[in-house]
Amino acid sequence: MNHIKQEDIKPALVQEEPKDALSLSAATLTTNGKKEVKKEDVDVVKPLVRESDGRKSLWQGSSQYRHWMFSQEMLLKQRTHTNETAVTAIKRAYEAEETGSSNGIEFINAQEEYALVKLYVDKISALCDHFRWTEEVEATAMTYLKRFYLKNTVMDWHPKNVMLTALFLAAKTTNQPISLDAYTSAIPKTSPSDVLDLEFLVAQSLSFEFAVWPAFRAVWGIWLDLQSLPDTRPEAIKDILNAAREHVRTARLTDAEFLYPPSQIAAGAFWLASETLTEQWAKAKGLTASELEPIKEVARMIERENEPGGRINIELVRDVDRRLRLCKNPEKIPGTNAYKRKQAAAEAAANEKRAKKLAAEQQAGSMDVDVFGEKIFIGDVKQEAKPDLGFSSGDED
Amino acid sequence: MLTEDTPMDSVEKENLRRAQKYTKDAKVGEGAYAVVYKGREIATGRQVAIKKIKVGQFKDGLDMSAVREVKYLQELHHPNVIELLDVFSSKTNLNLVLEFLDGDLEMMINDKTQKFQAADMKSWMVMTLRGLEFCHRNHILHRDLKPNNLLLASDGQLKLADFGLARDFADPGLKMTCQVITRWYRPPELLFGCRYYSGGGDMWSVGCIFAELMLRTPYLPGESDVDQIKTIFRALGTPTEEEWPGYTSLPDYVSVGHFPKTPLRDLFTAASSEAINLLAKFLAYDPMRRISAREALNHAYFFQAPNATHHSRLPKCKIVSTEPEEPPTHDNAKMDLMKSLTAGPSSGRKRKSSIGHEVVSRPPALRHMDVDKHESL
Ligand SMILES: Nc1ncnc2c1ncn2[C@@H]1O[C@H](COP(=O)(O)OP(=O)(O)O)[C@@H](O)[C@H]1O
Ligand SMILES: [Mg+2]
Repeated sequence: MNHIKQEDIKPALVQEEPKDALSLSAATLTTNGKKEVKKEDVDVVKPLVRESDGRKSLWQGSSQYRHWMFSQEMLLKQRTHTNETAVTAIKRAYEAEETGSSNGIEFINAQEEYALVKLYVDKISALCDHFRWTEEVEATAMTYLKRFYLKNTVMDWHPKNVMLTALFLAAKTTNQPISLDAYTSAIPKTSPSDVLDLEFLVAQSLSFEFAVWPAFRAVWGIWLDLQSLPDTRPEAIKDILNAAREHVRTARLTDAEFLYPPSQIAAGAFWLASETLTEQWAKAKGLTASELEPIKEVARMIERENEPGGRINIELVRDVDRRLRLCKNPEKIPGTNAYKRKQAAAEAAANEKRAKKLAAEQQAGSMDVDVFGEKIFIGDVKQEAKPDLGFSSGDED
Repeated sequence: MLTEDTPMDSVEKENLRRAQKYTKDAKVGEGAYAVVYKGREIATGRQVAIKKIKVGQFKDGLDMSAVREVKYLQELHHPNVIELLDVFSSKTNLNLVLEFLDGDLEMMINDKTQKFQAADMKSWMVMTLRGLEFCHRNHILHRDLKPNNLLLASDGQLKLADFGLARDFADPGLKMTCQVITRWYRPPELLFGCRYYSGGGDMWSVGCIFAELMLRTPYLPGESDVDQIKTIFRALGTPTEEEWPGYTSLPDYVSVGHFPKTPLRDLFTAASSEAINLLAKFLAYDPMRRISAREALNHAYFFQAPNATHHSRLPKCKIVSTEPEEPPTHDNAKMDLMKSLTAGPSSGRKRKSSIGHEVVSRPPALRHMDVDKHESL
């Protein structure tokens, strides 16, 4: 990856492992050493620390950097893979029900899935305004929703309820929780179970990695830098800050966060807001031309989003949502034979496991033996034909 | 058993793969919201602890303590922070796979058969501060530091654990709850209802732990929140306006009377002057003037003889101590002085520690119920 090595978002208060008492204890490695160690000694001692001790930047230690950053090709591959696996599985489920029944179904492809998901990403803002949540909740929920669909398909899980669940979870993980009742009662046609049944699945899909490094925080860092540039008038940069923040909001609708670290997204937003100032900033930071390149790429990405035909493609989304009703995974729709069959299989597996466990316990004479791997129960999304409160992906009727 | 043949989403498969990496054996502990088991990573034989958190029982879904613990431990990788190896779900439980740790600092402090050298205490302090400095550098507050949450590995390494109350403070000026940190380790600004704070709160707790290591008994064991303030003032003197500007205007300020300042030296008789100096800096009343973890690591105390004991040579935690306790010796006089300084006139039901001979009843652990309501602003 071609990321800048600089510290991200959070100001780099301590860049290096502090030369502290541990280096000292490493110096002697003995109990009760009586020798008085002079400060100079400490500097030459190899500290008793492993590479993982936080010597890497905080950003490079983050789960976002380690697991949620991709190249353009990898990202495309990931989405295609998720989509194709799903189509194969759904076809199989149809065929199991009735041979030939999957013929002629117009499945949704990866690009179409992405278009639909984007619509729901966009809807998060309004909900956050409603609940007066901070930008942190909004940015986090959007990231969760986008990450979820790298591993799941809209044909299994409709984005409406996943979006509601992602937002509810994001409020918790950013320390602004509200009760489930208060949450769902404020949203039309939504019951607590719509959210609760999916929460585990969403958390699992995020690999239980809840921390997100949002670009809006990096905007502040750059803005502070800009203020210390020699020839910046406060009035001039105030407008620039607002423009940059708006651009970062737009960037959330793109794949930028999978491709660039938050500092580069923030810098790209400033680039659009003021090329000259951002160039000055880059110079002051000592960024090379090649380090400036990803920043310009981010800027272009945001620009494309603002062009006609950018943002949400309503025509396409309408069509996708219509077709989605015909190619949903029957195993995920309560009441269908495929659903019942899958539930029965899961139950049989669970029973078998219980029997095994019981046998093992009897054999071991212990009550503490347990075996993992029981399929977790995941309730199903009640997929509404017409979600409300403007959530509809374009109702054709 | 579910196998690859059973149709499954990739996410479920991944979860299953993780779950099947471990065995779960005997139960080793029980916390406020979780049961902890001993287990093994099958491929390596490595011992692990599996913290099983029941989720199904909560009407608001995933529990906040679990969310916090998972969120922060996923990001923090440091020798002095407990390592989260894996997370997976089984049925309606969330399972955190943690490195297995033999004991904690509270057990160590309570085991009166163990004699602590000055160098040992220095070593535990260094490890605590390094772990905490790393958290604070990552803009994460622990908010529940106490000996019981400082776990000890078999190689002697100390690890910060129990991140169920942690939060980040990357956005300055964010209002937070003051209902955190177990009472005896809670700083005066939180007792007075201060809602804006940063790393200083944790540093006060570190000071209390440092004092407890030296005294072998809790330093400031208040019996209620108000009594906690009294206990602090009695031990350290009522702060002056100069010492802590504006504290009488804090939201929950109460006057508990005027107590004179007694030199720390009177109680911590065996401590070096650098140790006393550092302790005073941890226990500075004004949170703005309290020493930071990073500054503390550069304090003269750590550069004076004796050098910190290497962790592999520290006293080992005995899980079950069957040895009889040694009779109290020279500690008696010190203990009496301690009482006069920290406990005040003895009240009716005493559970004041007397260097270990009465069982100290610790204040209850804090949980999310106390915390969340105050922070959802
Ligand atoms: N990593 C571990 N290794 C060994 N025992 C552990 C570990 N983590 C927890 N325990 C045991 O389980 C108990 C409860 O765990 P804890 O994390 O403190 O739960 P809670 O957050 O509910 O208080 C601890 O007091 C300890 O005895
Ligand atoms: Mg605990």
